[in-house]
Amino acid sequence: MFAVTENPIDAAALRAGLQRPEAGALVVFEGWVRNHHRGRPVTRLDYEAFVEMAQSEGDALVAEIEEEFPGVRITCVHRTGDLVPGDVAVWIGARSAHRDDAFRAARLAIEEVKRRLPVWKKEYHPGSDPVWVNCTEDTGVTNDASAYYARQSALAEVGAQGQHRLAQASVLVVGVGGLGCPAAMYLTGAGVGRLTLVDGGKVEFSNLHRQVLFEAGDVGAPKASRAALALRARNPHIVVEAINADLTASNLRPLLVGRSVVLDCTDNFTTRLLLHDACLEAGIPLVQAAVHQWEGVINVFERGAGGCLYCVGLPRDVSALDRVGSCAGAPVFGPAVGTLGLLQATEAIKVLLGRGADDLATHHTLLVDLLSIGITRVARPARPDCPFCTRVGTTSDSGRAEVGASPASDDKPTPLWVSPDERDQLGTHRLVVLATAEDRAARDWLIDVEIVHPEDTQKLDLLVRTSDRPVVLTCPQGVRSASMARMLRAAGLANVFALEGGLPSSLGQLRSTQREAARE
Amino acid sequence: MTDTRRITVKFFALLREQAGCREVSLATTASTPAALYAELMSTHGLRVSQSILTYAVNERYVPADSPLADGDRVAFIPPVAGG
Ligand SMILES: [Zn+2]
Repeated sequence: MFAVTENPIDAAALRAGLQRPEAGALVVFEGWVRNHHRGRPVTRLDYEAFVEMAQSEGDALVAEIEEEFPGVRITCVHRTGDLVPGDVAVWIGARSAHRDDAFRAARLAIEEVKRRLPVWKKEYHPGSDPVWVNCTEDTGVTNDASAYYARQSALAEVGAQGQHRLAQASVLVVGVGGLGCPAAMYLTGAGVGRLTLVDGGKVEFSNLHRQVLFEAGDVGAPKASRAALALRARNPHIVVEAINADLTASNLRPLLVGRSVVLDCTDNFTTRLLLHDACLEAGIPLVQAAVHQWEGVINVFERGAGGCLYCVGLPRDVSALDRVGSCAGAPVFGPAVGTLGLLQATEAIKVLLGRGADDLATHHTLLVDLLSIGITRVARPARPDCPFCTRVGTTSDSGRAEVGASPASDDKPTPLWVSPDERDQLGTHRLVVLATAEDRAARDWLIDVEIVHPEDTQKLDLLVRTSDRPVVLTCPQGVRSASMARMLRAAGLANVFALEGGLPSSLGQLRSTQREAARE
Repeated sequence: MTDTRRITVKFFALLREQAGCREVSLATTASTPAALYAELMSTHGLRVSQSILTYAVNERYVPADSPLADGDRVAFIPPVAGG
């Protein structure tokens, strides 16, 4: 509940209104008018509100916090008009089953009120003119920001110009775990203008030893939005956005639009390949790291600079990599992910500052061993015959060209992705679904579709090699099929495509095409 | 040919005092809240720096360069100081 009132706040009534037998905690914050400010006596405060908007903003912020903390109920009342020292200007109560959530929700509520509620106060001092708080230049946001960045912008390599470049930057951090937390913290401190966090996971108790943006009270909460809260509190001068969803082939492309650099802080190889390909195709620098127990690896991939993952000879079977490379449940040394996350932030900031190849891990891979304290540089040159580099190296657009002409008929690069609509333009083609026995059992629609087991790469390779028609791959999520299509492309097969969005989005069309194919 | 829009502008706090009124209704060729503010700085004596302002259209925060439509209600929001 939110309200703006000209009348004195009746705290007892508001408190009684929140009482419930199932509630275990009530945290109350009262904002009082005090008799001094910045060393000067204050005799009264005049609060003015844009009432209509204050009501809608207040309703919205209460709803957002109640959604962020399920089970918490908030009451927030803001007073307007002429107030004297001792008066209650704002009253916030957060009721919850447990004290942790109540404390945190109440804290967030007052911070949001101060950040966005259209309310202003005029301060009266004895013997001088009253002043509108925050409205003069010398306490303005701009000056605060320059103080915030003072120690960093004093660096010769940064300066005012570098600070401006950082402020103009838009950075995507995929994965808010052991790597993503420290990386995002330091990007926030460095002042990147827009920071977007993507993670579909929830905080677990076993995350806390290394995922430094979270506290015990965060367990069960969505990682991305909880991390965003912590980061906004660290630096109020930047925009932090949270997307509480996993990165997939279907949501990836809009998230890449306008990015200056992308950080891959994920823990599975499927997403890693997806990002690698999409960033190189779009010409966006990608800072990628991975950790195994005490050791870590970091790469900066940039189109036209150094080798890509396929140049260094990626194994053909992605699912095997996933079994080895996933860190879910695997042992991990906390400071190892911390160190690698900080190296990711370091590389990303240097990319944003426009540092050259000598200063970046673009032409080599860094291997970091925290147990023996060793950093090894392994050269990572581009292979002239790498099919992937050859393809993306010659395109300057986003990698998404017209599908129109028949694939591989000329030396124009052929886009990997086809949307369900674009599939029609491919003409007669084979749609192949990568599905396991469980996938089939779960979905009756697979009866009349060509199916290959996702791990049967040999069969798939042969199928594409010998097909006289383009082959479009899909699978329930669209991730595995995209990886596989990329693998086959990297092996020199131009006749293979990945269906955007996976199966759910294309189910209707899939059926109709199958029927047409049957009629032929 | 330039586009003219009828806009209602609300002033608050320091801006209300500088403008000398709570609200004006006017016709303008300004196409964004930021452009409208720049116009009103000269016509209405507004002196708060644009670098510290945010903007609301129809009681919602909007970016400085969002488009204005005929009949919009615009408010210039000086740094807020609630709580
Ligand atoms: Zn390559």
